[in-house]
Amino acid sequence: MRVIVRTVSELCITVGTLIVLFVVYVLFWTGVKADTEMDRQVDLLQDQWARQPVRPTSAAGTTASPKPPAPYKDAKPFALMYIPRLGFTWNKPVLEGTRTSTLKKGLGHYANTAQLGQKGNFAVAGHRRTYGDPFKDFPKLRAGDAVVLTDGAHWYTYVIDKGPYRTLPADVQVIDPVPKKSGYTRAGRYLTLTTCDPEWGHSHRLIVWGHLESTKPVESGKPEALRR
Amino acid sequence: MYGWIWRHLPGNVWLKALLSIVLTLAVVYVLFQYVFPWAEPLLPFNDVTVNDQ
Repeated sequence: MRVIVRTVSELCITVGTLIVLFVVYVLFWTGVKADTEMDRQVDLLQDQWARQPVRPTSAAGTTASPKPPAPYKDAKPFALMYIPRLGFTWNKPVLEGTRTSTLKKGLGHYANTAQLGQKGNFAVAGHRRTYGDPFKDFPKLRAGDAVVLTDGAHWYTYVIDKGPYRTLPADVQVIDPVPKKSGYTRAGRYLTLTTCDPEWGHSHRLIVWGHLESTKPVESGKPEALRR
Repeated sequence: MYGWIWRHLPGNVWLKALLSIVLTLAVVYVLFQYVFPWAEPLLPFNDVTVNDQ
């Protein structure tokens, strides 16, 4: 009898410890791992950009889009995203693809959606919670907020037009070239950000839409939105 | 269970204590490195895309 009671209590303690450890892993350790990994991806990008030859500057301040870039390589970083609303120092690498393993390393660009600054819809997904909580403050985004991206050659400033829109996970139309619910009626250069809602759940998705406001070469300095 | 492990560890009390700590750390390492990364995607926090690509 005593052996049984002892074994059962030991099992309970073991299971409890396991649960606590798992919570520590999800809440804390994934963040530590993701921050390290994102820093590594940013370093990769900066190395890559530093090795690029300097190109002749086109007329500064033009909004004409640069030549379409080469197709992005799956699971490799290709841009950095800045959203001043989420914090002045908030910046995350954007990787190609939205597989689970890719989203652990940064934000994920939906393959098959437009490339950065090109005609169509540049759609990006990110974690709201765990893995560094990149989109934790997603609901704070408002129309008029800037989302700035750089691919090492240009600064792309997108401006959010429609604030957090709640939808169902199966609503793939939100990343269409001209998303139906966004209010856009004509083809253009759009941006879509997606994350999960509620914060710790997966029953819905939160979406914001924006349009490309300006494109300028990196040589002409940081865009307005990133200056303090 | 733990009593059984304790009885089967070699050496005196100090060596047993040291071995228990090493064993615990090894278990935690295996959990964080292999078991939790496998279990974590089964939770809903990873679903942030609209088409489950």
